[in-house]
Amino acid sequence: MANLWQKLTYHRGNGWWNLPHTASQEPDPPFEGPIGGAWLSNIWRTITHGGVSHAGPGFYWLVGLFLGVITLLEVWLFNLQGLGGLYIPILLGLSALKFVGVVAFFMHLRFDGRLFTYIFTASMGIGIGMFTLVLLLQQFGNQVR
Amino acid sequence: MWTFLGSDVMFFGAFIATYLVYRGRSLNGPYPSEILNIPVTSVSTFVLLMSSLAMVLGLYYLREGQKNKATLWILVVVLLGSVFMGFQFVEFREFAHEGLTPRTNIFGTTFFILTGIHGAHVTIGVIWMAFLAYSSHRGKLRADNSLDLEIAGLYWHFVDIVWIVIFTVIYLISANDGPPPGAELLHG
Repeated sequence: MANLWQKLTYHRGNGWWNLPHTASQEPDPPFEGPIGGAWLSNIWRTITHGGVSHAGPGFYWLVGLFLGVITLLEVWLFNLQGLGGLYIPILLGLSALKFVGVVAFFMHLRFDGRLFTYIFTASMGIGIGMFTLVLLLQQFGNQVR
Repeated sequence: MWTFLGSDVMFFGAFIATYLVYRGRSLNGPYPSEILNIPVTSVSTFVLLMSSLAMVLGLYYLREGQKNKATLWILVVVLLGSVFMGFQFVEFREFAHEGLTPRTNIFGTTFFILTGIHGAHVTIGVIWMAFLAYSSHRGKLRADNSLDLEIAGLYWHFVDIVWIVIFTVIYLISANDGPPPGAELLHG
């Protein structure tokens, strides 16, 4: 569990998120890789980085393409009938993917100082907690009535 | 900036929670199912997502010392942000024409407050980016002080992620919401 947490949150992860070996104070990591092992990261590096030491325009275009495709998929699901109870969870999942894509790669949170990650995720936690509490109180209030 | 964004997460979280609490409780129309235009909003969502891409490309070229390309991409951010604001202005005007204002019903109140505050954030971002594009063009914004653009970029991407949530919650999930059960009894 601790190992997984380290992979997900630390700069030295280099697991299936393939994080770069950079100190948190260094702004430009040598390689911003997606998921995958060494073989995939090498292919990815060739496609997106074109020999430069850190993320290049190709990498950002691919992230942009990914965000655009997810948006198209969401609209397609909206027009698709018959998903029933799966509709909302699928949409929320796709929305979370876009959210993480922007925060992690465009905002460089995964390669920024750990303190920033903690500040942002703690605020997210408080926001979501407040959000859930309001909805639960609403549900509870309805039951009492 | 991260601390500010953390506070803004809670700020928007409160408004999104309020929207969800009052979702489907409007006793009179227009209801979301009658008024929301998903295809048009999908285009504006795509425009905002692409502005985030332009933002990160502008920062990349600024750090590489390519002034003209950096200025161009920052201007693309200004252009796409303005297009998004244009979409929102047309949408608001259309809704008002259809009879939905912040005073019409609870959907109108929560919808206009949430999307209006987001629109105000976009407007501030566009003005900020316009100043940075001018600074880049004049050569005052360079690789050695690219942190100024990076901080503005964090703000811009944040505005984008908030819209990702708003688009899903208000537009895609609520688009089929009609009158609540029993609402027709109130109107005879």
